[in-house]
Amino acid sequence: MRELSPRFAELRAKTAPQLIVEHARVKPGEIAFRSKHRGLYRERTWRDYANLVGRTARGLAALGVKRGDRVAIMGDATEEWAVCDMAVQALGAISFGIYPTASVSEVEYQMADAGASVFIAEDQEYIDKILASGDRLTELKSIVVIDASATYGYDHPKLKRMDDILAAAGPIEAGQAALEAMAAKVSGTDPAFIVYTSGTTGNPKGALISHGRHLAGTYTIVDHFPTLARETHRTVVFLPMCHIFGRDIAITLPLISGLVPHYGEDVEDLLRTLVEVAPTVLFTVPRYMQKFASQLLVGIGATSSIKGLAHETAMRLARPVARRRWEGKSTAIDPLLASVARAIAFKPMLTKIGLDQVQLAIAGGAALPRETAALWQIWGVNLCEAYGQTETGGAFISAQAGPFPRPGSVGSVVSGWEVKLAADGELLVRGPDVFDGYWRNPEATSEVIDAEGWSHTGDIAEWDGNQLRLVDRARDFIVTSGGKTISPSTIENSLRGSPYIAEAMVIGHNRKYLTAVIEIDFDTVSDWARAHDISYTGFTMLAAHDRIKGVIAAEIDKTNAELARVEQIKAFRILPKQLDPEEEGEPVTPTRKVKRKLMQERFKDLIDEMYEDSEERRVTAAAGEVLGAN
Amino acid sequence: MSRHPPRASGYFRTSYAQDHALIQTRLEWLATAALAVALCGVPLIASPFLLDLATQVLLAIVGALALALLTGYAGQISLGHAGLLAAGAFTVGILFKEFNAPFWISLPAAAVTGAALGVVFGLPSLRLRGLYLAVSTLALHFVVVYLGGEYESKRGFSTGIMIDPPSLLGVSITSGRAWYLVMLGAAVVALLLAANILRSHTGRAWRAVHANETVAGALGINVAAAKLGAFVITSSMTAVAGGLFAYHRGFVSVEAFSLYLSIQYIAMIIIGGMGSLLGAVLGAIFVTLFPYAIEALVGMLPGSQRYAGSLFAVNYAAFGVVMILFLIFEPLGLVGIWRRLQSFFLLWPFKQRPVGGGRK
Repeated sequence: MRELSPRFAELRAKTAPQLIVEHARVKPGEIAFRSKHRGLYRERTWRDYANLVGRTARGLAALGVKRGDRVAIMGDATEEWAVCDMAVQALGAISFGIYPTASVSEVEYQMADAGASVFIAEDQEYIDKILASGDRLTELKSIVVIDASATYGYDHPKLKRMDDILAAAGPIEAGQAALEAMAAKVSGTDPAFIVYTSGTTGNPKGALISHGRHLAGTYTIVDHFPTLARETHRTVVFLPMCHIFGRDIAITLPLISGLVPHYGEDVEDLLRTLVEVAPTVLFTVPRYMQKFASQLLVGIGATSSIKGLAHETAMRLARPVARRRWEGKSTAIDPLLASVARAIAFKPMLTKIGLDQVQLAIAGGAALPRETAALWQIWGVNLCEAYGQTETGGAFISAQAGPFPRPGSVGSVVSGWEVKLAADGELLVRGPDVFDGYWRNPEATSEVIDAEGWSHTGDIAEWDGNQLRLVDRARDFIVTSGGKTISPSTIENSLRGSPYIAEAMVIGHNRKYLTAVIEIDFDTVSDWARAHDISYTGFTMLAAHDRIKGVIAAEIDKTNAELARVEQIKAFRILPKQLDPEEEGEPVTPTRKVKRKLMQERFKDLIDEMYEDSEERRVTAAAGEVLGAN
Repeated sequence: MSRHPPRASGYFRTSYAQDHALIQTRLEWLATAALAVALCGVPLIASPFLLDLATQVLLAIVGALALALLTGYAGQISLGHAGLLAAGAFTVGILFKEFNAPFWISLPAAAVTGAALGVVFGLPSLRLRGLYLAVSTLALHFVVVYLGGEYESKRGFSTGIMIDPPSLLGVSITSGRAWYLVMLGAAVVALLLAANILRSHTGRAWRAVHANETVAGALGINVAAAKLGAFVITSSMTAVAGGLFAYHRGFVSVEAFSLYLSIQYIAMIIIGGMGSLLGAVLGAIFVTLFPYAIEALVGMLPGSQRYAGSLFAVNYAAFGVVMILFLIFEPLGLVGIWRRLQSFFLLWPFKQRPVGGGRK
């Protein structure tokens, strides 16, 4: 094992605002990040960043935010999110983000649980969500709105405009000095922020993470992918920053590596932003990679015969190259074949979505389907899978180092951390920089971290050489009435590999056979429908259409062909509506993870229908009468 | 100017100047440099006949760009283009005959005449639209041509006005090569002028007026000023082109400025593609070379001597047919064909944009 970098210990003693101050002193004129406003990428230097954070911190202090207070931030990934978060941390207060898609009751739950005194809203949309709680949030003192453009007519006594607060906080040039003074008073062992877990079972829990541990933990990513520190890299920020992974990318990694984040005009404009920025490093969740891949595939499917032939030729050249690379048997002509394939089809394809300059793409946050990973690698994108948890405070537990790793594992364990498998296969992890504990919930903390300091991930894993392979969440295993234990996520991931399936949940616990409920991908399915002259008025009509059922059935058959008999899906139903996390009681978390139990309750009729045997009984009964009469 | 989306990824702009730059990518720089070298190299290799053709094309480009700005962008129809060319040519001719004025006086004078006429041409546009405006500009065409004819006959130049070649830095411009370079310069200046107008406030105001006058007015654009400005600027450009035409020919006569000339210029912007500077350039090339192409084709027929007399009629007819074909099959003009060709490669390996249109 190689020696641990001294940087870990260094970072453990620091805070993120302190690092901003350091950068503002050492390289004041270098670009910290770019953020698009009205068509232009506004460049912020480290000095600008320090000034912005310092002034915002002063403004928040004037609101009464002090050491140890909790401040909530709700909104999409924007420059202001990062600045507010850093300002809160500079004051020694504890920041936490709320998912922009969280429903009113989730907002209220997290606000009450954290006991936040200030709520910072990106715009009017989030004010509505917080005001819906009325006076029930007794600890809430101020609501601050960053973009006040649609708040005409709002005159709640707690509501304040960020612009007014900043105007009263002194000149922008004085920000850096103010930040230096404030940052010096906070130590690396103080708590920095809370990240709420997504809550697929029960209420979300707030994981409290301290400054130094988070910085040192996030440095595992830089340590594992040295290119991040060696060179300056462009990346696009679009994942919600309230998630630990989103925070790593937008706020923490830029402080400890050569990563320069780019914020788009709006997260909805992601594709445009990607094309304009042409990131060299991409951090993403698997869902985006699946979505992009299916859009490209649908586009290729509808192209002219000459262009289709070019793509097909490129695939034929590139598939064996990829296979040989995974097997470690690359030949001398492989680079040539790969560059021909890239030139005739893949490079122009990737250019359309701005991924042609990506040197490193890291997918984390959920399981990356093997097929998806393989496809991107064939196309020439170095897509690596990483595995981490909120509870590891921003650190990856393991990641494929690449380049072009064989899909199907989550790679090797990062340096400085220990991993072992419990008797039941559960992955246990121990390291210096795990989270401090759940906020106001010591019982839950002791359930996760045992006496020896091992953190229980709840994921079942196995070793494949020195690579970790995740099998499933421990509690999600299905035991059929025939007694077979089946991992649903393997099957679901394979289903999600289809361009037409957005979400799939496999059911079969205590049942005779497996079934699935499917949410169709509206974009690709509606494309398909248009190409095949099927008229529809909306999602529900499309979901109920017989031809679409046929398409999905074909996709399921494809998956079934690769599965053992007991694992095969015997019946399926298409959800009549899109899953929307913003709706109350919807069976998905704001990160669009399925809440299995709720899903089973919510679509009980649909599911029961698939195990329906009343028809058989009716037939038997009818026949029985006839037989009986005879 | 409506630019295509970037041809490659990785173009984030940090200032509006970058966003407006005429030449943005390294490929565009290379292409521009190569084109410049090629255009400057033409006189060294082309025959006198081809060089004369090229000179005619370049002159036509100046006039076509002016009309493209007025009709294609500002949306004001004009049938008076030949009248404006005549005004420029006669200004040069009269100043030469009466005052022996050098070109550096007479060409600016032509520009001023054009601008003044632009005001006159433009005034009806404040009240009239579409066909009625076209007819009013047509009336002005006849007024200008009538005045020119009167001058010719009253002063005794009934066969036309002879003009000496202009001299630049003591060198008289007579050779085909020299004229080619002069016209090349004029065309480049006209193109840069047009491109710059279009990426400035003026050009955006013109397009807004074209799209919807009421909305443009509501956005704070002075519609009357924008329309008059469009007439003044483009008329001035056209009159300068007329002046250059007079110098190049060395001869001015009303016969050269028939209504057919106006129609030719309109054909240039229709065949080239409305609302595109590239279209105006392509249209000018096409329309100028078309009669020569027809002549060459007829010459290849067996027994071509017999048709020689009807060549002019064939030309007219063929020209009409081509216009109709373009209007029916390629309303976007030559530039439409060019764009389709371009997007075939830009979209590779897709047929349509694969992403971006999808709903969330």
